[in-house]
Amino acid sequence: MASFAAACRLSARLATRKLQQEAAVRGYRTSAVALAAQNFSMPALSPTMTEGNIATWRVKEGDKFSAGDVLLEIETDKATMDVEAQDDGILMKIMKGDGSKAVQVGTRIAVIAEEGDDISSLEIPPEENIQAVKAAEAPAVYTPSAPEPESAPSPPPQPRTVTPKPGPKTSGRTYPMLPSVAHLIKENGLDESVIKNITPTGPNGRLLKGDVLAYLGKINSQTPSEVSSRFEKASHLDLSNIKVAKAAEAKKPAVEAAPAVQAPPAPVKSLVTLPVSLSAVIEAQEKIQRSLGVFLPLSTFIARASEVANDELPLPAGYQPTTDELFNQVLGLDKISGPKASRGSYIPQIATFPPASTLSRPTQKKVDIIDLLTASKPKSAQPSVKKTPVLPGASTGPNIFSLQVPKAEERRAQVFLERIKLVLENEPGRLVL
Amino acid sequence: MLSQRLIGRAAVKSAFRPSGLPSIVPASRWRRTYATEAEERDLVIIGGGVAGYVAAIKAGQEGMKVTCIEKRGALGGTCLNVGCIPSKSLLNNSHLYHQILHDTKHRGIEVGDVKLNLKQLMKAKEQSVSGLTKGVEFLFKKNGVEYIKGTGSFQDEHTIKVQLNDGGETSVVGKNILIATGSEVTPFPGLEIDEKRVISSTGAIALEEVPKKMIVIGGGIIGLEMASVWSRLGADVTVVEYLDVIGGPGMDTEIAKNIQKILKKQGINFKTSTKVVSGEKTGDEVKVQIDSSKGGKPETLEADVVLVAIGRRPYTGGLGLEKIGLELDERGRVIIDSEYRTKIPHIRCVGDVTFGPMLAHKAEEEAVAVVEYIKKGYGHVNYGCIPAVMYTFPEVAWVGQSEQDLKKAGIKYRVGTFPFSANSRAKTNLDTDGMVKMLADPETDRLLGIHIIGPNAGEMIAEGTLALEYGASSEDIARTCHAHPTLAEAFKEAAMATHSKPIHF
Repeated sequence: MASFAAACRLSARLATRKLQQEAAVRGYRTSAVALAAQNFSMPALSPTMTEGNIATWRVKEGDKFSAGDVLLEIETDKATMDVEAQDDGILMKIMKGDGSKAVQVGTRIAVIAEEGDDISSLEIPPEENIQAVKAAEAPAVYTPSAPEPESAPSPPPQPRTVTPKPGPKTSGRTYPMLPSVAHLIKENGLDESVIKNITPTGPNGRLLKGDVLAYLGKINSQTPSEVSSRFEKASHLDLSNIKVAKAAEAKKPAVEAAPAVQAPPAPVKSLVTLPVSLSAVIEAQEKIQRSLGVFLPLSTFIARASEVANDELPLPAGYQPTTDELFNQVLGLDKISGPKASRGSYIPQIATFPPASTLSRPTQKKVDIIDLLTASKPKSAQPSVKKTPVLPGASTGPNIFSLQVPKAEERRAQVFLERIKLVLENEPGRLVL
Repeated sequence: MLSQRLIGRAAVKSAFRPSGLPSIVPASRWRRTYATEAEERDLVIIGGGVAGYVAAIKAGQEGMKVTCIEKRGALGGTCLNVGCIPSKSLLNNSHLYHQILHDTKHRGIEVGDVKLNLKQLMKAKEQSVSGLTKGVEFLFKKNGVEYIKGTGSFQDEHTIKVQLNDGGETSVVGKNILIATGSEVTPFPGLEIDEKRVISSTGAIALEEVPKKMIVIGGGIIGLEMASVWSRLGADVTVVEYLDVIGGPGMDTEIAKNIQKILKKQGINFKTSTKVVSGEKTGDEVKVQIDSSKGGKPETLEADVVLVAIGRRPYTGGLGLEKIGLELDERGRVIIDSEYRTKIPHIRCVGDVTFGPMLAHKAEEEAVAVVEYIKKGYGHVNYGCIPAVMYTFPEVAWVGQSEQDLKKAGIKYRVGTFPFSANSRAKTNLDTDGMVKMLADPETDRLLGIHIIGPNAGEMIAEGTLALEYGASSEDIARTCHAHPTLAEAFKEAAMATHSKPIHF
């Protein structure tokens, strides 16, 4: 509980401080960071808050508070909230008292000092400092009022940061000397003007022990730069003598890691076939032409159906999980990404009669966007995959859809064909509408 | 036209439902298929491992529009998921277990029944991993990084096609592309890794029971760390190393011999200068034929589990590099220049998949540097100053050159060492194995290399790295105050020993 006496003392101090402050303003002033007194500005209690009202201050001027104490209550349009202290300290001065309305976020509402500070001797920091920082941090929230020229902060002295980056020979040392260097210099009574003549060989022109020793003639004068050049060489990746792998070798790792459906060098091929009636498709084709005046080639239907049917096919028999997949299984990550099924890349071959091996097939020339999307799939591992032939006058009766696949993928291909049959025979119109 | 097609597809999907077909079409696929139409990205990163995710976050912070493609389903790559992080969890907890079991009585702590709950040990590991990978995902969101779960491959020089993990595919176009696909375990010819009996480092962090006998092929860092874990948990472990020293490339020979002695005391058997000729799985056992290179009889070792830890190799599988004509070197590394550019200048490459040591922190440095090269035209990685740590107990850590490196290069040097047995803190901890060893130029006293075996060596090496980065001499370290009593005092004393004399030895 703030005692009355404390308040009296405070007001007395405020009066004296006023005088001190005026004196201080005129004289040299350190930057705001160095001041023990800090501005306490209106906090944003929610991301959208721009202003608020101060309901009551729970801590009086001159009172101490500890981290976690409630300093004040702030009313926003939504609620009344407590503001807790982040750190221990003393409330030096309240700038916006109880009941202040529409206080902008970022405006100074009080000045706080660190615990143990003699607040009577502290100067109240200028608000502009904080505002400038705030404005830089959150330009959208706070619009700074025109700064008073009188209290604009004088630029803090920056003797070190302005110096340009020293080259290898510069004497503009901008950092404390290494302890060994400082020691040698004192020990040998070298003065400042002499130090400038020593050639630094360290990183970024740093003066090293070896440089001073070389200057003093205690070691070979060339050694420091020799050591330095070794370090310089070691600091880069050695990209000399790169031996480019021969084309075949370069391909090897890529082939090894080709995902999932990796075919053995000479896979046993088997032919999977399924009769599919295209009557529903042709019906739909006619219907579309009648109603929309658009002729959709059969290939469009088949390509769409293939794309749908290719999804999540069962893995080929004897599928060898990759090391990565094993890793993931071990970690239980296969539930996230595990390949219980994988997308196929089949494109069926269609014939009105059972395919013969001598049958020459026309290749499709016209490029359709869907074909582009699907055709990017086939891998070198599946030489059997061929383009869908366009069948302008396909029979409405059963057509033979066939796939030539490695032995291990028979089931996978079968599922694919069954699906394509299902799609094409039931409501094929939905594929293109 | 496009929208028409989209509707068509959605309709097809619903058409299937009544027909009782298994759900062929995951709903998400349709939404994603046409993500291709999105605008060109400033940077597309293939790989969400340490190199990839760090580059992604850095690029996000630099205000670039960045996309990261990762196929694992979790970010962090090998390091976070199956490498550094889970192994450290196992190393730490197995060390605790081992210590409680064997190293408490003389310290004045009597413990009742100590039981190993391997399931819980693994669970603790998984929790650490999932916490960290989710943390990375959060950082992606925070920095505006687009994250695509899928397998990326080059379609052309600017377009990456992605097979999405949820099915379907999309493609991303990038002004710049970063290859950060990392590395994979190098398999041992003739021994197929099944992750149950013949395991890689990945299986080694997830065994379901403690093997009775275990053979570790390869005495490098990964092999020795995993050997430590399972040996502490009760396995009879034999490490077979082809070279005459363990520790792998870069480790100082004197240090390597020292740690071998210490690990041997802990119960790990070593067969150095020994070649594994072949191996086969028979019944419950795996048999490994070994042959001493120093002349000696061929031998057959038997074990329930064989760990293959002979190294890692760059991983570019399925990336389609041949499509854009990118070349690899003879060890499968993507060829780059000093600014990480491939021969196609807007495609760059960092991390394990290219040159340099395969270390997570090296990849991380490169990731930041490559983004800086793209954005600002200059980046910095000092390859002469990359620390390496082996997390056995005691740990081994080093930075800079080793004694054998210097000898080989004909460079003169001065050595200073300090044993932890003379360090007050190590003595009070009753952990006095190990030493600090410093190598410095004999004339200028500039530090050339620092090698440590000791408890907490991995943390202590940071001081050495900083010293090297700043071109410090051993005297600079010796003249810097170190708190007492700490293990770090041994570091200071080793520095004193290098240029003059240590006080406490």
